[in-house]
Amino acid sequence: MPQLNTSTWFITIMTMLPALYLIMQLKLLNTNYHFSPLQKEVSNTQVFNNSWQLKWTKIYLPHL
Amino acid sequence: MNENLFTPFMTPTLLGLPAVVPIILFPTLLFPTSKHLISNRLITIQQNLIQLIMKQMMMIHNAKGQTWSLMLMSLIIFIATTNLLGLLPHSFTPTTQLSMNLAMAIPLWAGTVITGLRFKTKNSLAHFLPQGTPTPLIPMLVVIETISLFIQPMALAVRLTANITAGHLLMHLIGSATLALLTASFLATSLTLVLLVLLTILEMAVALIQAYVFTLLVSLYLHDNT
Repeated sequence: MPQLNTSTWFITIMTMLPALYLIMQLKLLNTNYHFSPLQKEVSNTQVFNNSWQLKWTKIYLPHL
Repeated sequence: MNENLFTPFMTPTLLGLPAVVPIILFPTLLFPTSKHLISNRLITIQQNLIQLIMKQMMMIHNAKGQTWSLMLMSLIIFIATTNLLGLLPHSFTPTTQLSMNLAMAIPLWAGTVITGLRFKTKNSLAHFLPQGTPTPLIPMLVVIETISLFIQPMALAVRLTANITAGHLLMHLIGSATLALLTASFLATSLTLVLLVLLTILEMAVALIQAYVFTLLVSLYLHDNT
């Protein structure tokens, strides 16, 4: 059986290793999966207090 | 007769140079990458397929198992593309080489076992003894479970090799039988029909890739997550 001819095993394995572990994974890593803008939630809605936050007042009223 | 039948499975050389190197690297050419937000149809279809497969495969894992998703995706894409390209006439299929399948199976299986032993030592060692075995049977059962553990990578590699090789051999034999019977043209049509059916069934070589990655996956699942 020609598959058991171990003289070619080295080159086959050495070629498969970069092909699988390097190139294919790099190709998969370079795919961009972006969210479509319609589905994206507005995630940065802060809960605004009615009272002023201290950091705002600190700017305008530095003595407090 | 023997030499003629198995020559498609010898690693190809072209004027003494190993042609197996570009043949193994060729499936990577079929998956272009693009930084565009909206790419062309080929890239979009491929990315959608990969996303579909990834969601299907990595759903059963927890967060730790899902760190393997890049590896498993590249594995399934590589083996699927290689097997499908091997269905073209006169092509060489690298996955018929036992060397490549062993080099794929053994490190990946060893990775799952070592991961299980590192992070969940007691759990992974407990797999050697199923629950509720009668006490006199325990030593024999541990031996049996150890053997079945160590035979997993061998089974993975030999399963892939043998299935693809057998399929290609069958197609070769039936095709040459069809040509030989063309002069007695009564059986030729029925044999070509059989060949066509066999070819479509062989397209389930893709199912074999599913089996490959899935069994690897099951092993990973068992070792990582209990």
